[in-house]
Amino acid sequence: MTSAERRWQGLLFVAPFLLLYLLILIYPLLRGLWLSLYQVDLFGGGTFVGLANYARLAADPVFGQSLINTFLVTLMIVPLLTVVALALALALNRATRSAAILRGVFFSSAVLSVTIVTLIWRFILAPDAGLLGELWTALGREPLPFLSAPNLVLPALAMTTIWWSVGFPMLLFLAGLQQIPQDMYEAAALDRASKWTTFWRVTLPSLRRTTILVVMLQTAAQLQIFGQSQLLTAGGPSGASRTAVLFLFETAFGRWELGYASAAAEILFLIILAVTLTQYMLTGRVRAGEDGR
Amino acid sequence: MPGLQLRNIRKAFKGTEVLAGVDLDVAPREFIAFLGPSGSGKSTLLRIVAGLETSDEGEVILDDRRIDTLPPGDRGVAMVFQHYALYPHMTVRENMAFGLKNARVPRAEIDGLVTDAARTLEIEELLDRKPAQMSGGQRQRVAIGRAIVKKPRLFLLDEPLSNLDAALRLRTRVELAQLRQRVDAGVIMVTHDQAEAMTLADRIVVFNDRRIQQVAPPMEIYSRPANSFVARFVGSPAMTIIPARLADGGAFASVLLGNGTRLDTQVPTDGLPGSGAVEIGMRPEGVRVCGQGQGTTDAEVQLVERLGERSLVYARLDDGAAITAEDAGTTSAKVGDRVGLSIDGAAAHLFGPDGTGYHRAAA
Amino acid sequence: MAASRSDDRLPPLVWAALLTAAALMVAPLVWTLLLSLKSNAELVGNSGAALGGPYTLENYGAIFGNSSTMRWLLNSAIVSLGTTAGVLVLASLAGYGFARLDFPFRRSLFVLVLLGLAIPSQAVILPQHQLFATLGLHNSYPGLILPGLIGPFGVFFMTQYMRAIPKELDEAAMLDGASRFTIFWRVILPLTIPAQSTLAVFTFLGSWNDYWWPLISATRSDMYTLTVGLAASQMNYAQTSGLGFLMAQAVFASIPIFIVYIIFQKQIVRAMAGAALK
Ligand SMILES: Nc1ncnc2c1ncn2[C@@H]1O[C@H](COP(=O)(O)OP(=O)(O)O)[C@@H](O)[C@H]1O
Ligand SMILES: [Mg+2]
Repeated sequence: MTSAERRWQGLLFVAPFLLLYLLILIYPLLRGLWLSLYQVDLFGGGTFVGLANYARLAADPVFGQSLINTFLVTLMIVPLLTVVALALALALNRATRSAAILRGVFFSSAVLSVTIVTLIWRFILAPDAGLLGELWTALGREPLPFLSAPNLVLPALAMTTIWWSVGFPMLLFLAGLQQIPQDMYEAAALDRASKWTTFWRVTLPSLRRTTILVVMLQTAAQLQIFGQSQLLTAGGPSGASRTAVLFLFETAFGRWELGYASAAAEILFLIILAVTLTQYMLTGRVRAGEDGR
Repeated sequence: MPGLQLRNIRKAFKGTEVLAGVDLDVAPREFIAFLGPSGSGKSTLLRIVAGLETSDEGEVILDDRRIDTLPPGDRGVAMVFQHYALYPHMTVRENMAFGLKNARVPRAEIDGLVTDAARTLEIEELLDRKPAQMSGGQRQRVAIGRAIVKKPRLFLLDEPLSNLDAALRLRTRVELAQLRQRVDAGVIMVTHDQAEAMTLADRIVVFNDRRIQQVAPPMEIYSRPANSFVARFVGSPAMTIIPARLADGGAFASVLLGNGTRLDTQVPTDGLPGSGAVEIGMRPEGVRVCGQGQGTTDAEVQLVERLGERSLVYARLDDGAAITAEDAGTTSAKVGDRVGLSIDGAAAHLFGPDGTGYHRAAA
Repeated sequence: MAASRSDDRLPPLVWAALLTAAALMVAPLVWTLLLSLKSNAELVGNSGAALGGPYTLENYGAIFGNSSTMRWLLNSAIVSLGTTAGVLVLASLAGYGFARLDFPFRRSLFVLVLLGLAIPSQAVILPQHQLFATLGLHNSYPGLILPGLIGPFGVFFMTQYMRAIPKELDEAAMLDGASRFTIFWRVILPLTIPAQSTLAVFTFLGSWNDYWWPLISATRSDMYTLTVGLAASQMNYAQTSGLGFLMAQAVFASIPIFIVYIIFQKQIVRAMAGAALK
């Protein structure tokens, strides 16, 4: 075997993945960009319209509302989720049996699919057949119409999502806590630092990277929130819970406005890309892409 | 010609030259040690022989066959790695059989070869263990066993003992010496431990600065270093090398030290460089401490290192030249004392301006 | 998990808060379980009945008699296992290539793969949908599996893991006359089993729970996965099966995933530790 042959051998190992990757991810990405510049519908054809789809998006109040809803729900979820996950991790970072059981409890919902989660929450939130409704009625109050009142529906989605998603960030924080060297605490103790000081001066600064990771991952995830909105409320009432991805889904697979939907997808892509790149920059993951040798 | 020949091997890593045209002949069954400071290219040359690196230029010939174009497994060489590189998920038996399986040796034959090698190395009871269940010394033996079963024509060992503790290292050194009597193959061992090289090797190859500095049997390396680098590098404590001037003399050179002391050496005058400036080299055992004024010259003691059976006295001549001398274990020399030094001129070496060594005529 | 400061006890107030949170966490699950154990008739117009007996297993019995749920279970199993196997194979091969072999454009290709981590699946869904329509792959197992195979995470993960394995092992195997593929298969791959199991768990969980792609690709009810099937059931439950049956389906659909979770808890926690480190 010549060394030139050996040089190409490596390509054989990466080729199977790479071919699929190029075909199923990179090609669609470029094709989507192309589509967004055309007016295309189900029956193909298509005329080049330049940035007209984007202009139409900018002027489309439904799309605007869906973006606002998405940002709002992300804002409701991420800070609260981060704080709750951190608090749980701090409380459960100990070697006792009860802590282990509780860690399992708080992670358990994370393994469920979105359809099961919405199924469960539909019958908690629904005023007529839900658990909350029953409780409210039992207390002699009028049940709150979580899924049909415009000002309650996004908080309801946020609550559902926090319940569903708290497990992973908690585990990330726990892992981050495990990596704080014990001697930092010993040094703090020798310095007679109070628990509170130790927390602010040792624990929290050490969790900086983990916190950035959690916030950015969750932001990227929640900006793509879809199933909760589609399944629980179908975007209603009157668009109050329509998220950006739901808008994309309806435009593409409901009305088959392919060019228009593609433009919306590109906007979404840019937003997520910005979040992800920010995360890479803040956590220095870009360097992981290099060889390290 | 049987044995290994390296012809004009050159290697650069990203523009930095590591080997600048190396030539070397290794006889069949010869034990060669590569000795040199770290970073001098020893491992690189060994890996070029093994086929783990490709040289930029040059040929590697083993038993009349050019092997530098062959993949590592087809070269007829076996290697023992510094960290042993045993396959962690395989038992000792599987580790040893792996190479034979790849060579499509029949099963029954493999079993026989593995059992034989295990018996030779006394690791039979380890055959069904995995590397993680063994001590460092045991892993070392298995690594050697894995090399032996392949019956290579050449063994390549890269610092094989450097991961063992001192006691185990000595024992394994003895075992390596015995082992090489039993195998019908050459051995090249990289080391930076000169005692190891001196004990085991038929010939030592000293590396420095991208080049081979000297190839010679251990005692010759010690007593007739090719240049001042080899002279300084081999021997512990290091040879004293100080500037001197050639004085007129007869058939053998005489020199004047910086403080004016005259020394008569046994180095033939023929072939010495013309100009007067040279360096003189003296091993500590050629410089003895004596009473002040009773020796060749006087010096002031800077440090006394007591080694038990003898002492090393680090002293300074009047002109500031540092010189290492030997004295009895019971020496009374103390720091700051002025003592006499009796220098054995016959044991001295001379080094020319380019570092070339000149020695007394061979016995 | 070793605790830092395991010696100091939690203050009672923290304990109380923790237990309340745990109750909030578990209540929906218990509620679901209770609903699933009630007869459908009893729950009509009064889901509160679930808080008291009598309980019955009839809904679960009905699932086993319900051919579509069983079919969805089968589909989910085939798709998730297929995806997991595919990801392990592709990611291991590519990881070895990127970690160990030198070939033209290696760095650029690796960066291209990393970029994929920033591409949300929603952004490419339309062209993907068209592509699979052109290839005639909608409503088929390959059609459901293929998009799950291109996640760059697996490649990134395996590359990092394999880079940490000493290169001396590859070199020893080369001197042992092993081919590149033998080295990969017999020496490196067995050493990546911990990474393989972590990747397998995550891929399986992700694939089992995936809603987005099967929602779009599987339009025939016999090709639904459990997630899509359950979505369809809950959207029109009013007309069809009762609440108890629906909840029994939910419980039933989560059983496999809970089993996987309980068996592979260690891998999940370990992977988290790795992610937090990077
Ligand atoms: N793969 C490599 N890439 C770049 N430089 C290398 C590589 N291998 C060795 N070198 C460099 O080549 C020189 C010689 O290395 P080596 O042969 O390992 O020295 P030795 O074994 O004598 O200590 C060193 O400066 C080392 O840094
Ligand atoms: Mg070396």
